[in-house]
Amino acid sequence: MSIGKFEHFKPRTLGDAVELLNKYGPGARVIAGGTDLMVKMRLRAVSPEVLVSLKNIPDLDTITVDPKQGLTIGATALLADVAAHPGIRKYFPAVAAAANDTANIQVRNMGTVVGNLCNASPSADNAPTLLVMGATVHIIGAKGKRELPLADFFKGPGLTALAPGEIVTAVSVPPPPPNTGVVYLSFSGRGKLDCSTVGVGALITLDAGTCKTVRVAIGACAPTPMRAPGAEKLLTGNAVDETLLRSASRKAAEETKPIDDLRASAAYRLKVVEVITYRVLTEACGIARQ
Amino acid sequence: MEKYSILGNDIPRNDARAKATGAAMYTDDMKLPGMLHGALLRSPHPHARIASIDTSRAAKLKGVKAVITGRDLPKVTFSNWRLYPATMDEYALANDRVRFIGDEVAAVAAVDRETAIEALDFIRVDYEPLPAVYDVDAAISQGAPVLHELIPNNISVNRKIEYGDIEKGFAESDYVREDVFTVHAVSHVYLEPCSSLAACDQDGRITLWTSTQTPYIVQCLLASALGMRENDVRVIKPFIGGGFGGKMELRPWEVCAAFLAKKTGFPVKFTLTREDELAFGRRRHPMKLRSKVGFKKDGTLVAKDLHILLDGGGYNSMGPTATYLAGNFGAFLYRYPSYRFLGEHVYTNKPPAGAMRGFGAPQTLFAAETQMNMVAEELGIDPIELRLKNAMVPGDELPGVATISSCGLIESIQEVAKMSDWKRKREEYKKGGGKGIGIGCYSFISGGVFNWFNTQYPFSTAEVRAFEDGTVHLLTMASDIGQGSDTALKMILAEDLGLQMEDIRITSGDTAITPQSDLGSWGSRVTLFAGRAILEASRQIKEKLYGAVSARYNLNVIYDFECKNGRVQAVGKPKYGLSFGEAVSMVQKAGRGEPLVARGSYTPRSKGMVSPAFSFGAQVAEVETDMETGKVQVKKMYTAHDCGTVINHMCVEGQLEGSIQMGLGYTLSEQFIMDGGKTLNTSLLDYKMPHAADMPESDHVCIPTYEPEGPHGAKEAGEGLVIPTAPAIGEAVYHATGYRCKDLPITPEKILKSLGKL
Amino acid sequence: MKHTIHVTVNGTDYSVSVDPGRTLNELIREDLNLTGTKLGCGTGDCGACTVMVDGRTVSSCLTLAVDVDGKQITTIEGLAVSGEELHPIQEAFIDKGAIQCGFCTPGMEMSALHLLSHNPNPTDSEIRNALSGNLCRCTGYTKIVDAVHCAAEKMASGKTEGGL
Repeated sequence: MSIGKFEHFKPRTLGDAVELLNKYGPGARVIAGGTDLMVKMRLRAVSPEVLVSLKNIPDLDTITVDPKQGLTIGATALLADVAAHPGIRKYFPAVAAAANDTANIQVRNMGTVVGNLCNASPSADNAPTLLVMGATVHIIGAKGKRELPLADFFKGPGLTALAPGEIVTAVSVPPPPPNTGVVYLSFSGRGKLDCSTVGVGALITLDAGTCKTVRVAIGACAPTPMRAPGAEKLLTGNAVDETLLRSASRKAAEETKPIDDLRASAAYRLKVVEVITYRVLTEACGIARQ
Repeated sequence: MEKYSILGNDIPRNDARAKATGAAMYTDDMKLPGMLHGALLRSPHPHARIASIDTSRAAKLKGVKAVITGRDLPKVTFSNWRLYPATMDEYALANDRVRFIGDEVAAVAAVDRETAIEALDFIRVDYEPLPAVYDVDAAISQGAPVLHELIPNNISVNRKIEYGDIEKGFAESDYVREDVFTVHAVSHVYLEPCSSLAACDQDGRITLWTSTQTPYIVQCLLASALGMRENDVRVIKPFIGGGFGGKMELRPWEVCAAFLAKKTGFPVKFTLTREDELAFGRRRHPMKLRSKVGFKKDGTLVAKDLHILLDGGGYNSMGPTATYLAGNFGAFLYRYPSYRFLGEHVYTNKPPAGAMRGFGAPQTLFAAETQMNMVAEELGIDPIELRLKNAMVPGDELPGVATISSCGLIESIQEVAKMSDWKRKREEYKKGGGKGIGIGCYSFISGGVFNWFNTQYPFSTAEVRAFEDGTVHLLTMASDIGQGSDTALKMILAEDLGLQMEDIRITSGDTAITPQSDLGSWGSRVTLFAGRAILEASRQIKEKLYGAVSARYNLNVIYDFECKNGRVQAVGKPKYGLSFGEAVSMVQKAGRGEPLVARGSYTPRSKGMVSPAFSFGAQVAEVETDMETGKVQVKKMYTAHDCGTVINHMCVEGQLEGSIQMGLGYTLSEQFIMDGGKTLNTSLLDYKMPHAADMPESDHVCIPTYEPEGPHGAKEAGEGLVIPTAPAIGEAVYHATGYRCKDLPITPEKILKSLGKL
Repeated sequence: MKHTIHVTVNGTDYSVSVDPGRTLNELIREDLNLTGTKLGCGTGDCGACTVMVDGRTVSSCLTLAVDVDGKQITTIEGLAVSGEELHPIQEAFIDKGAIQCGFCTPGMEMSALHLLSHNPNPTDSEIRNALSGNLCRCTGYTKIVDAVHCAAEKMASGKTEGGL
């Protein structure tokens, strides 16, 4: 089946890429792994006139891991490489796990973490973890470079804060403080390998059993991957026990705005968010205590 | 038990090497010089009148060679039930009306696929939308939109069965219950999307390579759809990437490919996309089943009254057969002294349902087996004990319908109880504790007796040609669609002629070359039907060979002979023998050069209305349910089944393991999500069939029986195994959670709702 | 505008002129006539079109031909060292009954190759996870998993004998 007619460019520098995007305007799209875009093009959901591939830009797939400085994932770094990276697995295991939870092996061998974010699906598997870790999105455009908290990046299903002609060059996360646990769990009807019905990420830092900082992020339950500030507030500064975790999980569910869709009803999503949030928080606390 | 040298061994299949290396050619892999690509325009409306179609702009597009609509084709309807022409209700391309979203309206042939698809956008169709109806109850109610004018009540086919005194039965029952079950549509998801390639020769004859289970049926119906003579149509079945019942009819793109090839003078290929398959393709019948059963206090079955509404979609497709078989399966597994069945096939404005693995039984026996489990609980009898008390045994008769010959149901139930440690786990897992174990049983046919296609030939035919180099050539129209029938048939012949697998060449599924006829691969008919035809041909070959050896050694007429280890010899006196090739050569010499060829056939006669033989089995499922999310994980499946003599263990196991995957999907994850007549989940991301990591462990045994009607005692193996999975998991889920599913599929949401957690 | 790309497929170099919208699957099947690689869905969900690009499995239906310019591609036709011998994965698939209709087989074998090249001695669950991008409707996967175990053993013993 045809994926349509378009022009394809393979710039060698970010500058050239930005120039091409600006030259061709709204009909131009950036492509990295293409695993989402190609499907949309095949189903004629989008029909770009120009594709600007980032894959020939040297070093854009760089991954740097530093336990002190943090983690930076380049725009064309593959999901498979993030999932398997020894440094990420050691210092940012939840980031590796979320990448490993994304789709299937073939897709992970083609798709990128940054692409997963830029696609801005509410159910993007890599978003919740990066959100709770306070990730920053690095952007380049005709006006130069800028940085944006990932929390401000998602604007709606398929919509981001990128201005026309801008490209995300990397996503970075700071190292988590000591006594911190970060966990991501996705839940879907089919078991393995499914588009998530619900995905929950949490970061919790404990100080002698008291929650010092916490961030909870939920996927597939609102137009964008979202934080749960009410639940975070309930937890912050309080001694963590089962009752508190349960009520925080309930609060998190209340904060979501799920819809009925092919994969689940809104009512079911609400229920599952509560259950999964509780499990994620419990596991994160366990790690934080270690 | 006979001693076999070939049968019963794990012989790798005939075509495995070609498939392992990628050399196997499926229809879409083929290319012919000058070949054009076809595309279909489909209705976006569930029900509409076509006011006009304008193809002129599409026809002018560069690269487009032809555009056709229903007006260009002969006004001939088709469907598989030729015995009842009134049921043949489908045109290849719509004439004046469309009845489901996806109904084919026009076809284009162009120089490449992109151009053909682009041309579809330039065809202008003026539709006048009509009221549509999507469920069976609404469709049969007063004032419902009528889909086919000749069928004002939308019930296109009905079937009744009645025997015993059912009113008396219920009156004498100590316990009567009535339940309504609903089951949903699922897709075959054969991995190979449908593809057809047609070429027309200078004499106007058509050759069609097509992804089909039934080359002969396609040949006959295509000839009639195009107003041609049957012998002017040749259908060749290349490698087929699975069928499961979904490729056993004449399909619109086969007609379009052939017609366009004729019209343009160039070969034309149509290949469907996965979205086409999921959005518009045939599916398993959704059904609404009302079942009333009567029992004695001790668990003895007394009466059953079953009414089924089949949701057929816009056309009959294979619905009449599903209606027919559903009634038969409703009376199977147990001894019903009285039984009444009414099946009604209802038109709705949805993609037509067709044949799918199990063909009426997964639905009917889900209801029957679930109800059996409910009765067991109410009567306080273990579900296994209740089944053993009522199980069919050899010699049982369904008046006017069938007589059971071989039957290992009781042994299967006993075996599966033992394997699964049923008694202990049934007690140990507390109800509602998240862990559960449940049972379901099945029975299935080994081919059909009822000649709905009205074939004028034997049901199956085989030709065996023997050569003096010690080889034979087996020709059969039976169709290997991935199930391995070519391998099984070669094994049957090799065993009978005392040859090795590599001594046999097989040609199958080519209507111009293989002997008339064979109705194709469906209803688990090939092993028994084609196997019997082969044995009949083989018997004739052996007669001639024995005669040659007898003459050669001037033997007493009382000598008996055998074909063994590549030799033809007197039994007990191997020195009076020749190699197979030498014996063939003798026959050929005696016939002054006439080749040694024999033809055998099989048509079931005096075998009732359903099938000459039936297989049986039992399956136990163990599940664990996450009581907070409602998610069910099937931990282990135990299966014991009676499929007669096992021809090839590895293939039988493969069928069983595959059927668990399909049964698991049917029970837990696969469904079409519909908005009225529109199918919403049209990708394999959202149509959720189980992956490798979703599969439970599985243990199984074959119960040894010998089917007197089957070749070397063999009968059906594999298709029926898709049946027990849903009721077994359903009972296990009930045991684990207290949720009783009467409405497939079992979803986490339904479980949580029943537990009051949602 | 057509692009001229240079690819090495199963050890043979090709220069092909392709439209930007040409997929790798179309390039392989239609331009190079290597039809062992199948197309089962076109949306990256079934795995029937799996091939290796520079040692990694990808869905050829979601890969643009222009993006494989300069790369090494292995398809099912390149799995065996010659037309006469089979790769241990192919032998194992045949011997273990892992093949029924065969339409998923080429993709499954490529995924098995990817797994075994990274993990020569996988566990049952590692195999199942590694094959989870490949759907099969016939086998229930059991015999495919058996075949991958068997292939792992064959490849290990082949190595110790200095072969393969």
